[in-house]
Amino acid sequence: MGRLKDIKAVIRRELRLMRQRPVYLLASVGVMTFCCIFFLTLLRDGFPKDLPTGVVDLDNSSLSRNFIRQTDATELGKTIGFASYTEAREAMQTGKIDAFIVIPEGFYDDVLSGRQPVLAFYVNSLYFVGGALSYKNLLSMVNLTSGAVQRELLRAKGLSEEEITGLIQPIAIDAHQIGNVTTDYGVYLTNVLIPGILEAIIILVTVYALGSELKYGTSRHLLEKAGGSMSVAMAGKLIPYTILFTVIGVICNLVLYGWAGFPMAGSVWNMMLGTLLLVLASESVAFFIIGTLPVLRLAISISALYSVLGFSLAGFTFPVEAMPAAIQGFASLFPLRHYYQMFVQEAIFASGFSGWYMQAVYLLLFMFLPPLVYRRLQKAYIFQNYPRK
Amino acid sequence: MKRTISYIKQWCRDWYSVFGQEMKQIFSDSGVLVIFFLAGLAYPVLYGFIYGNSSVDDMPVAIVDHCGSPGSREFTRKLDATRELHIACTCADMGEAERLMQQRKVKGIVMIPADFEEKIASAEQATVSTYADMSSFLYYKNLTMGVNMVMLDTMHSIQASRFYAAGYGKEDVSRLVQPVRYEENLPYNRNFAYNIFFLSAVLLLVIQQTMFYGMSMLTGTMREEKRSISVLPVSLKGRGLSRTVAGRGAAYWLIYMGIGVYVAVLTPWMFGMPRNCSFREILVLLLFYVSACVVFSLTFSSLVRRRETVFVLFLFMSPVCLFLTGFSWPESSFPGFWKAFSYLFPSTFAVKAFINMNTAGAGLSMAAPQLAALTVQIIVYYILSCMIVFTENRLKSRHPGRLLR
Repeated sequence: MGRLKDIKAVIRRELRLMRQRPVYLLASVGVMTFCCIFFLTLLRDGFPKDLPTGVVDLDNSSLSRNFIRQTDATELGKTIGFASYTEAREAMQTGKIDAFIVIPEGFYDDVLSGRQPVLAFYVNSLYFVGGALSYKNLLSMVNLTSGAVQRELLRAKGLSEEEITGLIQPIAIDAHQIGNVTTDYGVYLTNVLIPGILEAIIILVTVYALGSELKYGTSRHLLEKAGGSMSVAMAGKLIPYTILFTVIGVICNLVLYGWAGFPMAGSVWNMMLGTLLLVLASESVAFFIIGTLPVLRLAISISALYSVLGFSLAGFTFPVEAMPAAIQGFASLFPLRHYYQMFVQEAIFASGFSGWYMQAVYLLLFMFLPPLVYRRLQKAYIFQNYPRK
Repeated sequence: MKRTISYIKQWCRDWYSVFGQEMKQIFSDSGVLVIFFLAGLAYPVLYGFIYGNSSVDDMPVAIVDHCGSPGSREFTRKLDATRELHIACTCADMGEAERLMQQRKVKGIVMIPADFEEKIASAEQATVSTYADMSSFLYYKNLTMGVNMVMLDTMHSIQASRFYAAGYGKEDVSRLVQPVRYEENLPYNRNFAYNIFFLSAVLLLVIQQTMFYGMSMLTGTMREEKRSISVLPVSLKGRGLSRTVAGRGAAYWLIYMGIGVYVAVLTPWMFGMPRNCSFREILVLLLFYVSACVVFSLTFSSLVRRRETVFVLFLFMSPVCLFLTGFSWPESSFPGFWKAFSYLFPSTFAVKAFINMNTAGAGLSMAAPQLAALTVQIIVYYILSCMIVFTENRLKSRHPGRLLR
């Protein structure tokens, strides 16, 4: 019973610290609130609309004007006229437009007399989203124009409408996007960025909480409160944070899949389990870092460097299997990587727990990290023999 | 005249002493050195390695061929031949393909219906279905691009054979199939290489973020050691704000011009990225950007009270600033508030200028709007950091010890 009382005493001490130093709540609740608002509002359209697309109309015929009108009418593009190629190129080089198309002089006449004029388009693929979408848009506009001209020519030859459709487009593609029907960019990014920021916060706040005992020399006071037991001290110190982070994670899941209505093919309860595992794995990593380097200033720098890499190595933007082999192994050292794989199985493919139990095992394996450095941290807490500055 | 000269001399002496003091601070602090040099120098290289392969080629897809005709097999072969796709499995039904996708063995499914050949033979429209794994947009892009290219190619050959069958001559057929031809140009990043896209944006951001974190750590240390950041020489009695700010700033400026050249010039060279701009022009951009980062960091680092809290509180700003540069989600789709918010950060303008100059080959004169914005930032943040030193000094002389908690 004494241990339980000691744990309670340590928890009370930790809660008092959290009240006295606003950094704990600001860094967890404040930062997560800001990030949720930021990403949900920045990407709220889901799909960029009215991307500025340049048109250099050297023909100025009814056909070319019709082309411009058609492009304007699509949801994706908004045309901006340029007088010359050079002007349009400069606008693209300075990032004002993502793409432009040149309609050559005599375009209409050439079409009518069957001289097959060339429409040249230029895409700035340095801006991935805008560039790729403008590229797709221009390609389909050019094909539509081609189709419209074909239709006119075939009509003139006396073919029926039905025959014409079969001739113009003999094959159509029926595309399905599994897990993100509307190709919503916000859904795709926010689903992983929010847990990623949560992971970073857990690591930083846990390292700070454990390390500040060393920095301010209060670790002996902590052990005293814990009745001299390191395990009681650690349990009492980490329980409040585990609860805090889990609650934040649960709220984030509710915000994403409930309030924001992000697609969730599987069960949101399984996601909650995944979030709990992410919290435990990230805390274990934090324990390992501060245990290996019981100097707060260094441990916190290392934690920052580590957490930032987690975003890239989760592989949700650029897939991990396309990275060099050495980097692929390195990626599995990040809890976020396993969480992302879990998320894919649950939220996109609805495979249930049986589909991602290995990810759960990997995340639990992180919990073997703290025992490795447990004694080392205990010594540091007792002897305070590491430089504080 | 004499007074002016002696004033200038004194100014320079004070400036130099503040500068030297700050330099000593920086180089005697291992934590700051880790951030400036380890992070500043290693991150660009690390990102270069991570995204070294630059594109996802031969992505495995499953094909469900319900038709099994020469036409559908031809379609499948063409899919396999694209750079984007690789037919990893031929499945008997959709159930099997879906299982493979769930096991992540394939990243997409292409389904050819049983009536594919029949419809084409009877001059109707045939439909090919695709199912994309949306866990990464690059999978989706590969599947869409690969299938579309094969579709267009097959379509043109079908059209041609139909027109031939209808008795048209060769000339006529070419005209009918492609009454309008097109020519696509992707001048700056031909293959949508991920490393060119990502590194161009992240490289310059590393400069701003590491400088801010490092400087804030030092500010935090000074505060903890009960020193003020307003290290005015005692002899000045509260005057000489400018030489303090300029002296402190010059230390960071000097270090970061070196790191900046490494990040913005050497790293692209090491990883074979496009460099369509002269060294001189990049250097001019760095002059503006590093100066803006210095005064930006001097202003906002004053918010930091304790050494380690800067990471705990502000690490999340790194991904936020990255998105605010508009490198991914286009700036034209930013909500107004976030657009205005992005103007607070030097990185917003510098990253854009860097992408335009280094990768798209825009000249320095075309980056004039960004340079002008950076100049405004330099002026505003310089005045702000002077005001902070002034206020801190006032408070310090009135309530010694109160600010320094």
